[in-house]
Amino acid sequence: MRRLAICALWLICTLASAAGQDDADLDALATADKATAAPEHASDWHAFVEGAFGNATQRYGLPDYRSERLSADVALDKTLGAGWRVLFADRLDGNWQGQEPNEYKVNTLKELYLSWQVTPNEIIDVGRINTRYGVGYGYNPTDYFKDNAVRSVVSVDPNSLRNNRLGSVMVRTQMLWNGGALTALVSPKLASQPSADAFSVDLGATNNTNRWLLAVSQRVAENVNPQFLLSGEQGKSAQLGFDLTHVLGDATVVFVEWSGGQGASLYSEALGNPTRQVFRNRMATGLSYTTTNKISLTLEAEYNGSALDSADWAALATGPIVNYLQYRNYAQAVQELPTRKSLFINANWQDAMISHLDLNALARQDLTDQSRLSWIEARYHWDHTDVALQWQRYGGKPWSDFGVVPQRTTWQSVMTYYF
Amino acid sequence: MSKSILAGLLLICSAIAQAAPSAQEILAASDAVRNPDYPFGLTNTLVEYRNGKQSDTSTLAIYSKSDAASGQFRSLIRYIAPARDASKLILYSGKDLWFYDPSSKASIRLSPQQRLLGQASNGDVVTVNLAKDYQASSAEEEDTQDGERKTKHCYKLLMSASTSDATYHHIEMWVETANTHPVKARFYTESGKLLKTAYYRKYQPQLGGDRPTEIVIIDGLDTNWVTVMRYSDWVKRDVPDAWLQRDYLPRFKPELE
Repeated sequence: MRRLAICALWLICTLASAAGQDDADLDALATADKATAAPEHASDWHAFVEGAFGNATQRYGLPDYRSERLSADVALDKTLGAGWRVLFADRLDGNWQGQEPNEYKVNTLKELYLSWQVTPNEIIDVGRINTRYGVGYGYNPTDYFKDNAVRSVVSVDPNSLRNNRLGSVMVRTQMLWNGGALTALVSPKLASQPSADAFSVDLGATNNTNRWLLAVSQRVAENVNPQFLLSGEQGKSAQLGFDLTHVLGDATVVFVEWSGGQGASLYSEALGNPTRQVFRNRMATGLSYTTTNKISLTLEAEYNGSALDSADWAALATGPIVNYLQYRNYAQAVQELPTRKSLFINANWQDAMISHLDLNALARQDLTDQSRLSWIEARYHWDHTDVALQWQRYGGKPWSDFGVVPQRTTWQSVMTYYF
Repeated sequence: MSKSILAGLLLICSAIAQAAPSAQEILAASDAVRNPDYPFGLTNTLVEYRNGKQSDTSTLAIYSKSDAASGQFRSLIRYIAPARDASKLILYSGKDLWFYDPSSKASIRLSPQQRLLGQASNGDVVTVNLAKDYQASSAEEEDTQDGERKTKHCYKLLMSASTSDATYHHIEMWVETANTHPVKARFYTESGKLLKTAYYRKYQPQLGGDRPTEIVIIDGLDTNWVTVMRYSDWVKRDVPDAWLQRDYLPRFKPELE
């Protein structure tokens, strides 16, 4: 009798659940009937404008200051005829900082090139191209064309540094086959010195020496698609590179990016005296994990074998300041780590608690001197507009990697409108 | 005499067997209704509702091609709208999932978990050959309501994942007996949790057959979260196999016309 009652109860619950589901389906279908959105059509043009204002507190007794920025970014990908395309990308930043009327503008001609698809599987590109390799998130040893490419730093977010930079003038050809590709490019010397002129195309920044690169990738199994690179620069030894990613389980991607070859130390290059050539390794490796509630966590270990080790880094801090500054400026220009080991952590949460709100955070811990960069962003987006609030802090002992930066803490609010 | 009766009975049984296709055959036939058996492109307009209010819209250009080796679809998806995401790409090729952002020139590998998040996650409800990744074990006949609230006589297929590529642990799918049109499907986790319900509706003649041009997806946990996927601009277009790889993503530009 009791068993019969349980069965009856189970049956009632099941039927009630099914009925509830059907009612929910009917409500959902009634909602779906209201959908009227028409498909949008692809545009050759993409553009956005961005305004930002912020406040920074500083070290060394320096006064706090306000900063304002107005930026415009435009990109074109136009098909000219069968197989022919022209691609253009440009960005203009206007900056105002502190009390003084010291506005400065920086234009970054990111790309301007012609692409000819000779056959479906053979392509030739000529012009200024932002070519980028690497699977690391915070550090890219195989990104061989990053040197001197950033004219205007608007954020410490590695994505921003990769987005807002100059391409190099080159001739690039690519051959494709099922599961693989071969890319070859040459980038000639066209000028000697970078230009500080606001509207300069700045060939001296990106094409101040002859360079070349070969890249081959081949899918060797499902989920395994390594890429091998060989890169060279006039007067320097060729560098080998390797990129690999692999999916583990349902939620984890592991990655490794390595570059190695004979070369001088970063310090001797910075001081213009690259003498002792030894084999040096540079690497970024780690994993990215995604949870079911849209949180992605990335942990990356970074190593730069051409940078100063702990002892030399400590010695530099107590040596002539001119050498210290020269080294720091050079490392920043070529986008290399100034010390041997770093840890990079990135977290982002899409639709964090409410729809359309994204939370992003990153931290870079210098393992040589234990200084740290922290950055947090809350970003809300509508159809065409993003609003973001960013907080950034450089922490560490005096003369450490991040502790030396005058700006201790920075707040910035950003509004972006996409056309 | 008894031999001829036996032969007659065998003939009838054989005819009955032919008239009643297997669950797996019904599933394969419904796959063929959703997807042409040749490479094609289409525009997918997604409208998302939360609690009855429109919360998001996006437009995707999709190219799909069956992989000769696995029989499964490989797809290139390019964002047309919203403006902030325009020209971003996703490549689906078995377990190889790549996201490409033209601004940073970064090709990022995605995990299957990331595939289930975001707007494009619902792409697998459409351009996927379910018969390749799932084994249908039963095909009971029953009446059910379709996406236009009409009663349809259907096979109710119970399907379980048969390959590691399968996104869902098991699926219930209702397929109309008269024409093997998929009517609705419920997608479940291993623990039996309902992930999503899909209604296939607004059938129209497209690329040589009657195909659903609108899919209504209802979230399993939050039934007030509804996504409408509307298909237009169907076009037969071959995409070279060599384009369906990470290295071609920076170059891919759809031309639907």
